Amino acid sequence: MTIGMKRLAGALALGIAAAGVAVTAKAQTPPGVTSNEIVIGLFGPLSGPLVAYGVDPLNAAKMVYDEVNARGGIHGRRIRLVIEDDKCNGNELVGVVKKLVTVDNVFILHGGSCTAAIAAAQEYVLREKVPFVMLNAAGDNAVFPATRYMFGSFQGTQRVYGSALAQFAVKDLKAKRVAIIVHDDDYGKANLAAAKAVVERLGGQVVAQERIPPAIADITAPVLNLRASKPDAILSGAYPAPAVLLAQKYGEFGMTAIPLLQSTQGMPTPSVYAKNVGNPDALKNLYHTWSFNDIADEALHKKWVDMYKKYYPDREPGPFMVTGIPSALAVVDTLQRMGRDLTREKFVEAMEKLNLKSDVMTGPLQFGPGRRDALRSVVVVKFDGKTQKVMPGIFAWNGKDGN
Amino acid sequence: MSLVLQGVASGVVTGCVYALVALSLVIVYKATDVVNFAGGELVMIGAYLGLLLLLWFQLPYIAMFALVPVAVFAVGALFDRITLRKVGGRALAKHVDLVSFVVATIGLSYLLKGAVRVVPFTEEVRRLPPLFSGPPVFIGDVVLQRQDLAIIAVTTMIMLALWLFFERTLLGKALRATSQNARAAALVGVPVSAMRMAVWGLASAIAGIAGVLLAPKLLMTPDMGAVVMLAFAAAIIGGFSSLPGCVVGGIALGVIQNLVGIFISPQAIAVTPFFVIMLVLLFRPEGLFGESLALKKV
Repeated sequence: MTIGMKRLAGALALGIAAAGVAVTAKAQTPPGVTSNEIVIGLFGPLSGPLVAYGVDPLNAAKMVYDEVNARGGIHGRRIRLVIEDDKCNGNELVGVVKKLVTVDNVFILHGGSCTAAIAAAQEYVLREKVPFVMLNAAGDNAVFPATRYMFGSFQGTQRVYGSALAQFAVKDLKAKRVAIIVHDDDYGKANLAAAKAVVERLGGQVVAQERIPPAIADITAPVLNLRASKPDAILSGAYPAPAVLLAQKYGEFGMTAIPLLQSTQGMPTPSVYAKNVGNPDALKNLYHTWSFNDIADEALHKKWVDMYKKYYPDREPGPFMVTGIPSALAVVDTLQRMGRDLTREKFVEAMEKLNLKSDVMTGPLQFGPGRRDALRSVVVVKFDGKTQKVMPGIFAWNGKDGN
Repeated sequence: MSLVLQGVASGVVTGCVYALVALSLVIVYKATDVVNFAGGELVMIGAYLGLLLLLWFQLPYIAMFALVPVAVFAVGALFDRITLRKVGGRALAKHVDLVSFVVATIGLSYLLKGAVRVVPFTEEVRRLPPLFSGPPVFIGDVVLQRQDLAIIAVTTMIMLALWLFFERTLLGKALRATSQNARAAALVGVPVSAMRMAVWGLASAIAGIAGVLLAPKLLMTPDMGAVVMLAFAAAIIGGFSSLPGCVVGGIALGVIQNLVGIFISPQAIAVTPFFVIMLVLLFRPEGLFGESLALKKV
């Protein structure tokens, strides 16, 4: 071998070694993380029939990240968002998730306002091992059973609401005979199972369980069935429109001596609910669960509303705006605790150690090994149509009832 | 017993709701052979226009009953003038593609829903105050709201007004002539295109009135137009070509749903209309009051 050839061989060996080092270094850098930025895929329904659940919450999450960037980012890295529209549709959401993971190479996924659509992406996320933090979807199906990469339900699952209402009815209102009305879907099933388990565990009796279609037009028959069961308390997991119809019929049929306990999802804005019910008598004995730390209707989350108006001066925030904040705060908190050493697996491990008082929700946001639902404690509020009074105590789901 | 009577009474009221919407569907179908899938959204537009007049312009209820039908009439008439006439070509064309018309109505339903959804105010469930407020009315053990009685009264009045219109007025007779045989009507000087536009306007106006009347009872969301499925069921049960039939069909459906909810299960309420439709199509495909299929127009 000549000296020239030796030099060439040496140069080649050095080149190959350098390339190997570069490849190794690249392999060690997780997707979506560079020395000065973290890329997050943010998505929700920005068009379509469920747009109300997506635009303001997504804007609110973006606002949280923008605030972080304005303060210099997290450990020297700015957060860059890639925003997509999933239309709350399973097919769309799966497409969005695949695009964010394979094309945009995001570090984590943060999005989704509809549990059913999110559930469609669960298999892909698990296979690709990408952490998925739900934006504001809170249905039980995405977090039960717990899977490694999915984190969510920052507003509490139906297990939490059903359990809280049942505890309050039996322990505080001393109800022995409890009637339950829920929808004939997965939300209703989870709410009913938890409520029933708690009532029976505490020595009460479920005397009626009415499962109604979500789009019911006439609620007369189920309410007559409830009345016929002579309950001491009625627990409702109805959605906004059926919840109003229920309260109207409950007032119309003279059932107002029986406490009516409504889960949060039936009255996103209590004052609007009261106006819709239209009958003050029907609100005399009304209680509802509440998962936010602020109950004043008009001044609800003033701090966050003011911040929202600063970022989006042309948009009046809707009632679901704050629901996008807790998940973004959880992501920021986790990234801050992780330091600069970021990998997706380490993110999952750090997320499992989340214990965050969010300044939005009633209770702490927590995950753990085998736990992927963030909020398990809510308060119960008595609402007479004008004033709201928080009842003593925090009502927590024990992680078992209704499972 | 009071349980059953209450279920029947509430079912009659809810049935009148279905019947009102079904009326607007049947009028369009009789005149144009088109099934209007935007019928529910025209109801929804009527309700939201009512809310707009009440909250923003502080107008009294009576003004709603005057202005909403006019506005929704315009929506229906313009839809015919701008879209259907383009889609279907000449009014007397020999081979009219009804599928295109139906698809156009589906397009209208999406357009109206989308237009309403962009208004932030519609994010939450809303309700118009009842036409008549006050304590409920007791008939024995049966309790009804004054609004329920108003719904029954207005449905009856609209039925009577439509009967008088189609039987006793020249315009009504011209509309009937157009629906029975457009070519023959044109030969005797009936302006068929104008008549079809009037039919779309009239049916839309009825849907608008239904919206104002139903908004206190069914509550308002951009998806409240889904009630059209129950109106279809009412029309099929009563006979898609019969105005009185759809009223009877609507009331029957409302009562049956409640009785099923009481005696079988509330879970069965949602499937009841479709089960009844199956039975009707099996045993009397033309509906309870519909014309015999063999005698359908030439």
